[in-house]
Amino acid sequence: MSELFWASMADLGRMIATKEVSPVEVVRAHLDRIAALDAKLRAFITVCAEAALQAARGAEADLMADKVVGPLHGVPWAPKDLYATKGVRTTGGSKILADSVPRADATVVARLGEAGAIVLGKLNMHEFAYGPEGLNAHYGDARNPWDARAHRITGGSSSGSGAAVAAGLAPGSLGSDTGGSIRIPASLCGITGLKPTYGRVSRAGVLPLAWSMDHVGPMTRTARDCALMLHAIAGHDPADPTTSALPVPDYTAGLTGDVKGLRVGLLRAHFTDVAAPDVRAAVEAAAKQLERAGAIVDEANLTQVVHVAAASSAIVASEALAYHAAWIRSRAQDYQQDVRERLRVGAFVSGVHYVRAQQVRALVSREVDEALARRDVLLAPATPIPATVLGERETTLGDGTSDVRSALIRLTRPFNFSGHPACATPCGFTGSGLPIGLQVVGRPFDEATVLRVVDAYQRLTDWHTRRPASV
Amino acid sequence: MLAPVEIDVATLRRMAALGGFAWTDAELESLRPTVERLLEMLERLEAVPIDELEPTTQYRVL
Repeated sequence: MSELFWASMADLGRMIATKEVSPVEVVRAHLDRIAALDAKLRAFITVCAEAALQAARGAEADLMADKVVGPLHGVPWAPKDLYATKGVRTTGGSKILADSVPRADATVVARLGEAGAIVLGKLNMHEFAYGPEGLNAHYGDARNPWDARAHRITGGSSSGSGAAVAAGLAPGSLGSDTGGSIRIPASLCGITGLKPTYGRVSRAGVLPLAWSMDHVGPMTRTARDCALMLHAIAGHDPADPTTSALPVPDYTAGLTGDVKGLRVGLLRAHFTDVAAPDVRAAVEAAAKQLERAGAIVDEANLTQVVHVAAASSAIVASEALAYHAAWIRSRAQDYQQDVRERLRVGAFVSGVHYVRAQQVRALVSREVDEALARRDVLLAPATPIPATVLGERETTLGDGTSDVRSALIRLTRPFNFSGHPACATPCGFTGSGLPIGLQVVGRPFDEATVLRVVDAYQRLTDWHTRRPASV
Repeated sequence: MLAPVEIDVATLRRMAALGGFAWTDAELESLRPTVERLLEMLERLEAVPIDELEPTTQYRVL
């Protein structure tokens, strides 16, 4: 069967369960595609071909014995190389952990395994997840599949996840998101990426960047696939004390396409108004589409988010250096330069700065909660700019300029700071054919409504079905 | 209006030493512009009315 690599996880699961296709066929189709394209895309750090095929044969045997475990039975996926995978090296995109082989899976990797999903390999990333550009000096920079002529960034830090899912090398991935590292590559690569509520999904076995800002979440091509993955991984984990004991709903149950009466706030000022013209127009059009479908749309402003850059920098810099302190002292030369410098900056943030930043966090969280008290979701661009060319350092933002790094994280970082769930999904393309990302933000633990809005939008449009011409 | 933050390498060296880090002057000089910008941004947070707010980091006995 041709083009299995473009099927969604939901469709693959259904085709496998009905024996229309074998898990072995599906895995082989993806491995062949990886072999054909990954030398250029550099999405993978490690490919687990033999293990994946063996797991597929096992899934096939279970299928023939009518032992289908669920909708992800036999469906391939690939985690960012931040997730511990038993017996498979987990590098964190680093030289320092190049030979590190965990003895156990991260909780979420184990949960997806129990759901029958099959790991294809480990995906490239910005070293130790500390960068929104998705650059890696040790394993090569992942390449955005949407531009055949120029090497554009995928965004990061889940760079390989963005490239792999966009190019059909894997139907789904787990990324991580500390300042936008799921939503930025989702936006720049034209896929769907969900940062759940802080505490919805276990971080046990996932290399930390900043404990209080890190989130684990799915990256796929559809809201339904995000819902399937989230359902498999969400829920309390004794190994991660920050996880919530709140029950995990069936996230697919609310994917009805109906948004009538849903209250949607389009975020202006800090968010939409500074975006590039193409991006702004696409997000405004998305709001209008939802309105035509019956949503009640108004405009909203979050005035306290101007403090997020300073406060979140203090928190991330401190927590990241705390984790990396021993290596920074003993192996500084083994880091890539930008990560080494970002880590070192953490030494100059005082305890008082850190606590004040956490007070600002309470302020911003309260404002987002107040905006969502009168609305069901908020809308904004996921990134104010599309993918830049590798090496580009400055970009236009609003009436001025900004460094690319700050621009990329500007609109995503506030919701790592506040912990609210947020999903990026494609909402159009620039005049030069680059994806534009819409961001949908919801109330704490209301991923169901966020996914419902994204799914409804995906039924009204076909942006999420477009494929890069170069692959 | 707050004056721009200016820090010399000697001050950076002392600050880094408090955290147990010993970096060369060249390494510290390379960090200086970023640290100055960050500290300027953090100084501006002093004007934000947050004194009555509990920080989101709290110790609780469960």
